Amino acid sequence: MISLTNEKEFIAQLLNPKTQNIAFQKLVSDYQRPLYSHIRNIVLNHDDADDVLQNTFVKIFQYLKNFKGESKLFSWMYRIATNEALTFLNQKAKLSGITSEALQNKTIDNLKADAYFDGDDIQLKLQKAIVTLPEKQQLVFKMKYFEELKYEEIADILGTSVGALKASYHHAVKKIEIFVTSN
Amino acid sequence: MKAFKLENEPKISTGFKTPDAYFENFSTKVLEQISKKEVKVIPIYKRKKTIALLVAAVLMIGLLIPVISHYNTSSKEFDEAALETYLAYQTNINQYDLIKELDTKDIETLNKNVALEKETLEDILASNPNLENLISE
Repeated sequence: MISLTNEKEFIAQLLNPKTQNIAFQKLVSDYQRPLYSHIRNIVLNHDDADDVLQNTFVKIFQYLKNFKGESKLFSWMYRIATNEALTFLNQKAKLSGITSEALQNKTIDNLKADAYFDGDDIQLKLQKAIVTLPEKQQLVFKMKYFEELKYEEIADILGTSVGALKASYHHAVKKIEIFVTSN
Repeated sequence: MKAFKLENEPKISTGFKTPDAYFENFSTKVLEQISKKEVKVIPIYKRKKTIALLVAAVLMIGLLIPVISHYNTSSKEFDEAALETYLAYQTNINQYDLIKELDTKDIETLNKNVALEKETLEDILASNPNLENLISE
């Protein structure tokens, strides 16, 4: 991962046509796994996650010249990934003529037969419980519980205060516990 | 039924997997995508710039309308002032020609507008070198 002290230098390398390719390869190498996990947690399906991750890096490459450095590179890339994943999900749901929640439930039902899922019943039940949460609360829970991001990092990405995030996570946990207990 | 408590459970992972060598091949795949992709996007800032220029043009025209209108009004006044000056200095028209053109209505109007005080009349008469000519006419 790129250290904060070197971030300005790294961004300069990304913007310089002479060093851009090598710098971008390093960017992809450093961030492909965390961004993949983040995207997969939203879209659930590997093939969809692969498409969205590619689109995300293409957009990162295109918009680098507009990156002002007002936020960390990490937060900026996560924001792009989040927007790409949510847009993908909503568009897919719209094309199928169903709600985003219905699409997610359908995808979870298909996970059992999915070659790229080796979870058990409790993991499937947890995914089903998460789908019942409002969109933002789902994000907060996934980023905190699965991705183990710090509240400050989540705050930077989602543009929400740490206090609001803690409250949101607490409510999400309560709802999940009730769902899993009664199902 | 035992209540499910997330904090009491061992960490539950997502259960998601990736194909073998997925990440090893990913960067090649995305770099190919980037080199293939032709970007034909009008940047939002350019669109916004066009709209901003149009708004500025409309505002400029809006601001100029009262200025042009004022110019037209004052030009009429200017014309009258210019006409007076022209008549006084540039033409061969003398006072007799002017008087001939005045009708009764014009004279009445002039009389109303001219409020000569006694002192002013005396000053005019005293300073006029052609006093005798004026008296004789």
